[in-house]
Amino acid sequence: MDYFEPKTITEALSVLAKYGEHANVIAGGTDVMVDMKYKEEPGCLVNIKKIPGLDTIQENGASLQMGPLVTIRDIETSRLVRERLPLLWESCHQFASLQIRNTATIGGNICRASPSGETLAPLLALEAKAKLAFRDGEKTEAFSSFFQGPGKTSLGSKGLLTEIEISYPPKGSHGVYLKHAVRGAMDIAMVGVAVLITADAGNSSLQDVRIALGAVAPTPIRATKTEALLRGRSLTAALVKEAATLAASESSPITDQRSSAEYRGWIVEALTRRGLEQSWKAASGKEVV
Amino acid sequence: MSLTINLTVNGNTQSATAEPSTSLLDFLRDTLNYKGTKLCCNTGECGACTIIYNGKPINSCVTLAADANGAEIVTIEGLADGDKLHPVQQAFIDTGAVQCGYCTPGYIISVKVLLDRTKEPTPEDIEEAVSGNICRCTGYTKIVDAIQLAADRMAGRS
Repeated sequence: MDYFEPKTITEALSVLAKYGEHANVIAGGTDVMVDMKYKEEPGCLVNIKKIPGLDTIQENGASLQMGPLVTIRDIETSRLVRERLPLLWESCHQFASLQIRNTATIGGNICRASPSGETLAPLLALEAKAKLAFRDGEKTEAFSSFFQGPGKTSLGSKGLLTEIEISYPPKGSHGVYLKHAVRGAMDIAMVGVAVLITADAGNSSLQDVRIALGAVAPTPIRATKTEALLRGRSLTAALVKEAATLAASESSPITDQRSSAEYRGWIVEALTRRGLEQSWKAASGKEVV
Repeated sequence: MSLTINLTVNGNTQSATAEPSTSLLDFLRDTLNYKGTKLCCNTGECGACTIIYNGKPINSCVTLAADANGAEIVTIEGLADGDKLHPVQQAFIDTGAVQCGYCTPGYIISVKVLLDRTKEPTPEDIEEAVSGNICRCTGYTKIVDAIQLAADRMAGRS
């Protein structure tokens, strides 16, 4: 196996261009190392941890910019993230174990593109953007089109994720991330639901709502029909119930060792309901009745 | 191809070579002969291989040996002061928190990092600090008792 520690993004991209699908990018290593031991060694390993400047969290006006090498623990211990993006913070707080959070990177969680990737539903709900570098230039892409299937992203085998940009939700917004798993730690979500709502000025209706579902489709998805149903409406218990049922119908879960497809559907319904109730209460100070 | 890795383990400067795919765990155990750190699940799920990497607890089985180049590593062998055990080690013995003992080095490392950070850990702090360590003898109650005892002793409360 060939091994490279590029010092620049350009250098990394030229190695990727040379090896194509035979190259594996490694950062924290918590997934790649397991694959190397139990599946197949790649033809070439590209360790991007020596590229400077990719491990910082920076506030820029009303948005946050994060390098792909920022660890999950860096996010969990960032006061800025906790205060401004509690939705993302929660998913990092519930992520695996302390040991893994100290090593695993946000870029790795994203590029792995696992349907159950813990940070992905929150990033979709926050309408975060990815900055991608290719040999012929850079582009910025919304995560809604970035994820293309389990393990598949628009990076293909030639590109590199260089930054994650997250705009702060508008005033009056509140988001929650709810994860369903058997164990509190070291467990992968059977279902993860991210809900972000914005109350109108009078706290009487939903100015905006975004719902993202994890682990219940080939990629994390937005429940767009459910969002359309809710947008502009006042939240009542009956509407929340209708929305939760609709969200479940928008998911297309599989049956695997963690749970059956049918069960996952019920959990989408329950977590969507709870997510709407909790975020409405946090944003407006009112219970859904 | 083989890489030269210069690192500090338990305060000692070391240099050795490793293959690019070698894990830090295999490098520590098989090349540098620090056998105290245990190989168990080998997938980053059980915590038996926990070491301190630049001040932070990590799973050495899913870390590249290459990433230890220039790093400061502390393993279980680095905790005792000569014949005097580290307070966390002593508390595990005094409380009977060791059954088969295979998970113990990983636990003790996680707890050392916790107690370096805080002298008054809450039950939640303790739970979080060892949430990535699994004891398959399931001796969790005694382990939590040992952590509390170590915290009390290190803070001069007991």
